[in-house]
Amino acid sequence: MLVAQRRPLSTAMNWCLRRPSLVLGGFIVGVLVLAAAFAPWLAPADPYQQNLMLSLMPPSAEHPLGTDAYGRDVLSRILYGARLSLLEISLGVGVALIFGVPLGLVAGMSGGNIDGAIMWVMDIIFAFPGIILAILIVSILGPSLFNMLMAIALFSLPVYARLTRNLTLGLKRMEYVQAAQALGASRLRVMFDHILLNALGPIIVQATLTAGTVVLTAASLSFLGLGAQPPIPEWGAMMSDGRNYLGVALWVSFFPGLAVTITVLGFNILGDGLRDLLDPRR
Amino acid sequence: MNKLPIHGLRRILLASSVSLLAIGAQAQTLRIMQSEPPRSMDPADQTASFTQVVLAPMYEGLIGRSSDMEIVPVLATDWSHDDSGLVWTFNLREGVTFHDGTALDSAAVVNSFQRLLDPARGLAAAGRMRAVLADVEADGDMQVNFTLHSPYAGFVDLMATAVGWIVSPTADGAGNLGTAAVGTGPFRFQEWESGEYVSQTAFDGYWGDQPQLEGLHFTWSSEPSVLSMAVQSGEVDVVNPLPPIFAQTIANNPELDLIDQPGSSMFWVSLNVQSDALEHQAVRQALNFATNKDALVQALLRGYGTPATSPLSPTNPAWDDTLNPYPYDVEKALELLDAAGFADGFSMSVAVQEPEASIAEALQAMWGEIGVDLQIRRLESGVWSEAAFNDPDAKAADGLDAVIASWSSGSFNSDLQFRPLYATSSWAPGGANLGFFSSGALDDLIDRAASELDADARRDLYVEAQKLVNEEAPHVLLYSTRDLAAMRQSVNGVWLIPGGVVQVAGASITD
Amino acid sequence: MRNYFLRKLMMLPLILLGVSFIVFMSVRALPGDPARLMAGPEATQDAVDDMRVRLGLDRPLMVQYAAFLKGAATGDFGTSIRSQRPVSQELSRRYKATMELATVAYFFATIIGVPAGMIAAICKGRAPDHVVMVFAILGASVANFWLALVMMDYFSVQKGWLPLLGSGSAAHFVMPAIVLGLLPMALIARMTRSSMIETLDQDYIRTARAKGLGAFQVYQRHALRNALIPIVTIIGLNFGAVIGSTVVTETVFNWPGIGRLLVDAVRYRDYPIIQGVTLLAVVSVVLVNFFAEFLISVLDPRVRFN
Repeated sequence: MLVAQRRPLSTAMNWCLRRPSLVLGGFIVGVLVLAAAFAPWLAPADPYQQNLMLSLMPPSAEHPLGTDAYGRDVLSRILYGARLSLLEISLGVGVALIFGVPLGLVAGMSGGNIDGAIMWVMDIIFAFPGIILAILIVSILGPSLFNMLMAIALFSLPVYARLTRNLTLGLKRMEYVQAAQALGASRLRVMFDHILLNALGPIIVQATLTAGTVVLTAASLSFLGLGAQPPIPEWGAMMSDGRNYLGVALWVSFFPGLAVTITVLGFNILGDGLRDLLDPRR
Repeated sequence: MNKLPIHGLRRILLASSVSLLAIGAQAQTLRIMQSEPPRSMDPADQTASFTQVVLAPMYEGLIGRSSDMEIVPVLATDWSHDDSGLVWTFNLREGVTFHDGTALDSAAVVNSFQRLLDPARGLAAAGRMRAVLADVEADGDMQVNFTLHSPYAGFVDLMATAVGWIVSPTADGAGNLGTAAVGTGPFRFQEWESGEYVSQTAFDGYWGDQPQLEGLHFTWSSEPSVLSMAVQSGEVDVVNPLPPIFAQTIANNPELDLIDQPGSSMFWVSLNVQSDALEHQAVRQALNFATNKDALVQALLRGYGTPATSPLSPTNPAWDDTLNPYPYDVEKALELLDAAGFADGFSMSVAVQEPEASIAEALQAMWGEIGVDLQIRRLESGVWSEAAFNDPDAKAADGLDAVIASWSSGSFNSDLQFRPLYATSSWAPGGANLGFFSSGALDDLIDRAASELDADARRDLYVEAQKLVNEEAPHVLLYSTRDLAAMRQSVNGVWLIPGGVVQVAGASITD
Repeated sequence: MRNYFLRKLMMLPLILLGVSFIVFMSVRALPGDPARLMAGPEATQDAVDDMRVRLGLDRPLMVQYAAFLKGAATGDFGTSIRSQRPVSQELSRRYKATMELATVAYFFATIIGVPAGMIAAICKGRAPDHVVMVFAILGASVANFWLALVMMDYFSVQKGWLPLLGSGSAAHFVMPAIVLGLLPMALIARMTRSSMIETLDQDYIRTARAKGLGAFQVYQRHALRNALIPIVTIIGLNFGAVIGSTVVTETVFNWPGIGRLLVDAVRYRDYPIIQGVTLLAVVSVVLVNFFAEFLISVLDPRVRFN
């Protein structure tokens, strides 16, 4: 009995040890999710509570990561900011996925003029350097977290559309897909059962790898004044706010920056791990 | 003994001493970095302090200000007014030429002012002069007469500001003054690489003392920490304005000097008196009581400022230091809100430019204490000025209740503070009365004070005006900032006119 | 293959047409009236209207667009609202500065990324591999403006080793090029590693190694081709991102390139400059992508495009 119980455990351990990226990346992302979920319990203070008399206090027992220019607790803001980062990633990547994958699927399945038209639009979007497109869009719609995320989603749209289309083209030629079609499976059924399911792996890998980019792009847009509006404790906005105190109060921008870096690192490592798992050919 | 090497050596020594001399005599270029680029090379087409810093070495007015803030003759040698105070006569200095070789005469001066009186020219600062000046005409080659609409006590002060600087009629006629400055100042325009720098060189034909510097080089960066790093690394000689957060760092650095003097930039929140809650005086007063001005000065300015107690800054001679109408008092604010029927608070929007967003963020928390939900619209400067200067209908449609802004023109002339900000005739878009405040009593006070030529009587009227504005509370008055600038210790002769207008033309560098 | 590139080449004008339309319309959709901005806050409505006519902004949109297209086809992008100089003149100098910076950044990325990737591949699974890969990912995980400011504080202010701002000497390139080159450096290192691992895995190479040749020697035989493919691929794919991040990098370092020009132009609603910069950036990205694909197909006959 005992022996039998230990076996699966050690197999699991082995499995994990052979995939260090997956474990490390999963761990970092897991910590992020937990921090976001339990922010109200973990945070020592209200992230919005100002105390101008305690502005720019260095790290101390009461404020482990110091206070910002408005005397707000930096640690609490970072913990709450984890929620916004997850929201950013889910919205920024999610919206691009929701529109990009079907577009790519339809383009790949249909071919001809539909394919040409969809890919023409995607090529146009892809031709814009992302930040420049985002500057235009956010300047038009006005700076806000949501508008910024829509801009980010828009410029990452072609990545997913292209990837899905190319995967679809490849899978279409596969024998089993052609067999299913010959057997009279409906177009939709082939599209979902055979192509989308098989293309999902690389798409998830791509999504994980670009998740970090979303957070970094958000920080750049905050720097340009086009990101989340005050007093939202968004990491990019905190960094960009804190940069004005560099040389005097490094902690205000350093710790949100560290959070950004660890998050990007986590998603990148997780993406690498997922690729090894789901797409072993590469 | 071979003589040649010695001869050679002597030649080298000679040459090097000559070149050393040349370096000693060849004065250096002063490098100045500011927070924003100049808006125009035409002094009448801008109202920005930091543009004036760039233009000041190239242009001169008929009169100007000395480093001890006295009015001094510049392009005019003397001036006088008639008994009515309506007609002012200026006698021009002989032998002055513009950088383009045009001679300074009465025709040039008349042209410089006529263009301000022509509304079609659309020059940004012209409105200030048009409100005062009715006509300008030459009387002979070297004498100019100015006719005012009504007697105006601040006329001399106005003439000493950038809007009164004289431009070359030749360059003005060619229509490129906006991009290439031509004045009479000690430095002449060399190049404006837009987005990068403005360079100026000493003007050989200057009528006064030749400047000690060979040239001036202006650059800019909108990054506050870059401003501080630029002067610390020695890459620039003068930084203006220095963000208050870095003042202590600069003061502690033995290689650097901190310029720290009382400033005239007043910061305030203009309340739209036509919008729902803000039409009630009690509500406006409540917002004033709910604003902890000391905390704002401490946190946002690191103490380098003065909490506002009147619409004037402490540098203004009419500033009344006995006033303190709104000490921080949340209880009082709540009572006032309750009395006005807003016990549950209300929601209002405020437009703010990027660099002042921190004020809005702090106010959001302070006013939250009395149940006021402040919605911040952080806008780029261009979009902000459009929103801020909308007329009443457009503002109502936009749903804009308040604007955070600053004003620094009134350091010597109270009229330039009261009239544009509070007079009924200055409602946006025509003026900077952004909240459409209107008080017959105040309008009357402003007019009477403006034409009161006796200084003491004028001060009394302005004290009364300060009390009236405080009572009516069309603004939430925040603070005036101290003027901070940083420079290398080797720089001498730099001084500052309140409002951040650094004067570098007379500077020198010692090594 | 030739068909593929011909088709792509023919698509170029179509893409540029779409891009120009988007750029033109979005610039007009920006809030804020350039005529009012130019005329100044205290200007009367008449003065603003005069300014609008002077700037040619009173004509119907489609007429303005047609005029813009016609001009753009001949390299005439109009006159900058702010500086009153031809946009093409402003752009050419600024573009040169940006391209110089991007070139140096890619140079940094290559000379560090390729050897790092090779070391990682040779030591696959061992410590050097992990170190290289962690640094590669780390380099791509830091917000560029923050890194830039911290580097400036350390290398210029505290140590005095490098000039802080602007351009003009070789030393001026160091910090902005590192900040700009970090992401491509990380990508090149990763791709070099995986392509080298793949190469080393191939049968004939295993044979060669079995005969006693070292990994590095084996790799050297195919070095040029194998090293070039990742570089070209990354530059091709990543060029848009680098042009995009010049917006931030140039703003911080006061680099006189098109990135900083764009930020200023958006701030002052200088329509012709925004249009010019954006179009120029897009054309560069499209062309670089195109040539990168072409080069890869020459370098690596296994790659098929369709």
